[in-house]
Amino acid sequence: MKYFNLIFLLSALSIPLLCRAETLSIDEIVDRANRVAYYSGDDGKAEVAMTIIDSRGRKRIREFIMLRRDNKDGGEQKFYVYFKKPADVRKMVFMVDKHIDRDDDRWMYLPALDLVKRIAASDKRTSFMGSHFYYEDVSGRTIFEDSHELVTETPEFYVLNNIPLDPDSVEFASYKIWINKKTFLPMKAEYLNREGRLYRRITALDIKDIQGYPTVIKSQVEDLDVGGKTISVFKNIKYDIGLKESIFSERYLRRPPREARR
Amino acid sequence: MKIGSRFIQFSILSPRLVTALMIIIVLGLGALIVKVKVDTDPENMLNQDEAVRVFHNHTKKEFNLYDVVVLGVVNDTHPDGVFNPQTLRHVFDLSRFASTLVDPDDPAVRVVAHDIIAPDNVDTIEQAGAGQVRFDWLMKKVPQSREECLRIRELAMDNPLLKGTLVAEDGQAIGIYLPITSKTFAHEVSQRLKDKIKSFTGDDQFFITGLPVAEDTFGKDMFIQMAICAPLAMIAIFLLMLIFFKKISMIIPPLIIAMFSVICTMGLLIGTGNTLHIMSSMIPIFLMPIAVVDSIHILSEFFDRYQLSGDRRKTIEEVMNHLFMPMLYTSLTSTAGFASLALAPIPPVQVFGLFVAFGIMLAWLTTIVFIPAYVMMFSEESLADFGIQDNASKRQGWLNSILLSMGSFTGKQPRMIIGVTLFVIVIASYGISKIEVNDNPVNWFTADHPIRVADRVLNHHFSGTYEAYLVLGSQELPLTRHEAEILLKKELDKVAGQGPREKLVAGEAASLIKNISASESFSFLDQLGESWLARQDAADDEGFYIWDDIINSLELLKIRDQVFKEPEVLRYIEKLQEHLQQTGVVGKSNSVSDVVKKVYQELFEGNPDYFRIPDNVNGVAQSLISFQNSHHPDDLWHLVTPDYKKANIWIQLSNGDNKVMESVVSAVDNFMVANPPPVELSHKWAGLTFLNVVWQDKMVTGMLNAFFGSFVTVFIMMIFLFRSFFWGLLAMIPLSVTIAFIYGVIGLIGKDYDMPVAVLSSLTLGLAVDFAIHFLERSREIYKKVGSWQEANREMFAEPARAISRNIIVIAVGFTPLLAAPLMPYKTVGIFLATIMVISGICTMLILPAVIAVFQKRLF
Repeated sequence: MKYFNLIFLLSALSIPLLCRAETLSIDEIVDRANRVAYYSGDDGKAEVAMTIIDSRGRKRIREFIMLRRDNKDGGEQKFYVYFKKPADVRKMVFMVDKHIDRDDDRWMYLPALDLVKRIAASDKRTSFMGSHFYYEDVSGRTIFEDSHELVTETPEFYVLNNIPLDPDSVEFASYKIWINKKTFLPMKAEYLNREGRLYRRITALDIKDIQGYPTVIKSQVEDLDVGGKTISVFKNIKYDIGLKESIFSERYLRRPPREARR
Repeated sequence: MKIGSRFIQFSILSPRLVTALMIIIVLGLGALIVKVKVDTDPENMLNQDEAVRVFHNHTKKEFNLYDVVVLGVVNDTHPDGVFNPQTLRHVFDLSRFASTLVDPDDPAVRVVAHDIIAPDNVDTIEQAGAGQVRFDWLMKKVPQSREECLRIRELAMDNPLLKGTLVAEDGQAIGIYLPITSKTFAHEVSQRLKDKIKSFTGDDQFFITGLPVAEDTFGKDMFIQMAICAPLAMIAIFLLMLIFFKKISMIIPPLIIAMFSVICTMGLLIGTGNTLHIMSSMIPIFLMPIAVVDSIHILSEFFDRYQLSGDRRKTIEEVMNHLFMPMLYTSLTSTAGFASLALAPIPPVQVFGLFVAFGIMLAWLTTIVFIPAYVMMFSEESLADFGIQDNASKRQGWLNSILLSMGSFTGKQPRMIIGVTLFVIVIASYGISKIEVNDNPVNWFTADHPIRVADRVLNHHFSGTYEAYLVLGSQELPLTRHEAEILLKKELDKVAGQGPREKLVAGEAASLIKNISASESFSFLDQLGESWLARQDAADDEGFYIWDDIINSLELLKIRDQVFKEPEVLRYIEKLQEHLQQTGVVGKSNSVSDVVKKVYQELFEGNPDYFRIPDNVNGVAQSLISFQNSHHPDDLWHLVTPDYKKANIWIQLSNGDNKVMESVVSAVDNFMVANPPPVELSHKWAGLTFLNVVWQDKMVTGMLNAFFGSFVTVFIMMIFLFRSFFWGLLAMIPLSVTIAFIYGVIGLIGKDYDMPVAVLSSLTLGLAVDFAIHFLERSREIYKKVGSWQEANREMFAEPARAISRNIIVIAVGFTPLLAAPLMPYKTVGIFLATIMVISGICTMLILPAVIAVFQKRLF
């Protein structure tokens, strides 16, 4: 078992080592980072504990189980989020059909109102359940929405600057992203507002190799304008568990599948 | 040698040394003025650690509230009102521009961009067709077509949180609310916005208001007042004295004394680390008339007597012998009047009272020391043309003839004068009973000031730009372990009834309860939860789900104290808001109940039947978490704390009068007494509009205490001065009548009893008794000399009455420049100073001789 893990680890490390010889194009860097960050395995599951801390240090907790299934690596994928805490929102479900060429489909199930609601997702930069994370941070921003530019290359990172193609659609003017050269995991993203002031930062605080996939197990987003941050901790992460496509459907919102509950 | 002449020997012998000493002192203290620190914040009327202020600041932090500059954009010419592409472009540009405003010297002083309420920075929840809801910016970008503009109007009008706040119900105005981190930034923000607005064209009108702007602008205008009005008053006094005394060299000393006292007092005030507050900025204006009074008495008498002897030293000694005691006492009484303000529990008022008191004693000392020195520095020759040449001229002139006929009238009709006085007092008492205590910082500006205009226009279009916060807090006690156990067992019984497996698991769960030793409910639930979780992990799938439900009922118990998710509590808030709306003075109120209702309705296709509070806690919680999927989830925390134990009802008033706020406060009190809340709730107020009420209350009672305190003190001093109870009582008559008259008039004409009016009572006390002291002291003296009141009366209405009249006229007319001030407190002071002088002068010269005539047997 130990050896098995080691082999995976080595192979994961060896890819970037091999690549170093050639110079990667910016598009290749962006594409690879996107896959590493959001498309590990064909599917995956994690228990997430989100702590929302406001500017006064007051904490709120959200706990949920998140399922993901990729239709196509680097392309369309589906998310299913099942809430466990706070107790009064337990069994709430949030589901996303992520598309590349059009707006995502989003659903919400509110058990207390016995209501399935579709949420128009024309704007993906709204809060994810009251946290400092945006929907887009959870499901991933489509890489074709920004123009990318390699600002600098350090021994450890590719530093990319990204400028939105449709500036009216987002609240930021640009953001920089630090991509680990070995793992291709984005380790940090910093957002500048229209005045060029840094106001938002996402950081990967802890990384772990899981089933050979470098995985962020603790991440943080900070609001540098108002103050406050949200910290997400991922537990019991599993990849390639063979999730059926059928569970990502409206039918399963009211009757969560076993994988989402346990 | 008498005390008066003894006191001035040093000045007579070394006039130049006295002058040199004064110059050194004034330069030394005057230099401190450059260290001035201005404080225009009426909040500082309350002590920093005053409970209500601490709570106000705590509330601001707890609910992320800021002081707000309100920018109103109005268009009443376009058929769609402000909802046309050009106006909305302006609104958009202004909001974006405002979001960048920051103090270049201190980045912490800024507009809080995140919390701006403007169409481009607020979310709407809207129906997006086919069972979809959408959270989106109300105005993501500037609309280009009429349809887009009208869509924005429709969305905003549909949102109870925005209607009446962001958009006027008549569609002719949009309000941009700019939160600022410090009130001192308000004026700067409004200036920068005005500059930006200059670049716009079109029919749009722009108005800026809000208490912080009013307060900060007041501070800026205050300086202009001090720089223009105070010197103007000085010039007016100078010109009048010139008319009376004809010789410039003889009227310079009162001006020197006034300036010396004012500069030294202000220097000392600033040098001792006090800030220049709205109150202390009025020190020069209060001090000047009092400072010149003594020197006018001396000069007036010197003027009348000098030519009789032609010896300046002898004349000044004589004059000082006459006037020393009355001047000492008039100064002491004025000092007592102002020093009594130290009893008022309002720091700026205390500082004001103490420093005016100091200034008065300084002016007295300077008068005694400097006037003789000044007189001695002139040669007899240069004084040759000064003063009255012969007795013939004394009888000429309008002042003399008025005074003479007044004198004979008091001799002939004393009873009638007393009768009229009593009648006036009766009317005045009625007037006083009608006095309304009320203040409003916006009304400190004159009616045509841009701030007042903006205030009127915006409060006409919107629900109100004055804000108050009613904070409700849960007073519920935490569950005891016993109560928690009972509730848990009830839940377990429910689960057990669902089937055989459920019964088994519920029994297992119940059996674990006794293993937990914790007595406090929270740790009991915590520990029990842990032990249940361990069982859940070990269970198979079916068991797992049963455990899941059981554990959740325990988790729900843990958050049972989040009372502001309880439907019945939210409905109670809703009822309270309805009650407030019915008072007619509340423009609008916003609460967490409004948010829940709006979200609930939109979740159900916008159906108006669902514009209500959901039936259970989970329904509320899930509506609220849906709301938090917006761009500004934290908007919720302006209305409720994240632990749901406190809620804030944001109340918008279209009128910032204290009496309006007071009526809202009592409306809430009455409602809560008549309708006990479903759970124990505390209620407390915050917000600038409320703070003003608190310090006004303190001001009124404080001033009243101070007034009665100084009234008694002055009365005792009078008994001492005249060594007679009756003479002391007599001295109190003119000031009592004057005060009754002034406050009676205030009540009758419906002028609000506000900050400057309150302070004037002390001024009245100090000035009105002065004339009485001079009058009575001289009356007794002359009576002793001539032995009959009839004869004494005639002499009294010659030189002594002239000195009093000159004082009245100089000060009354000298302060008319204040009427030109654009700030109401200064105007009020100007008008009332003049009135006080005239009334107290008339009272002194009519009532006192009349009373003496009637009671002369008892008095002499």
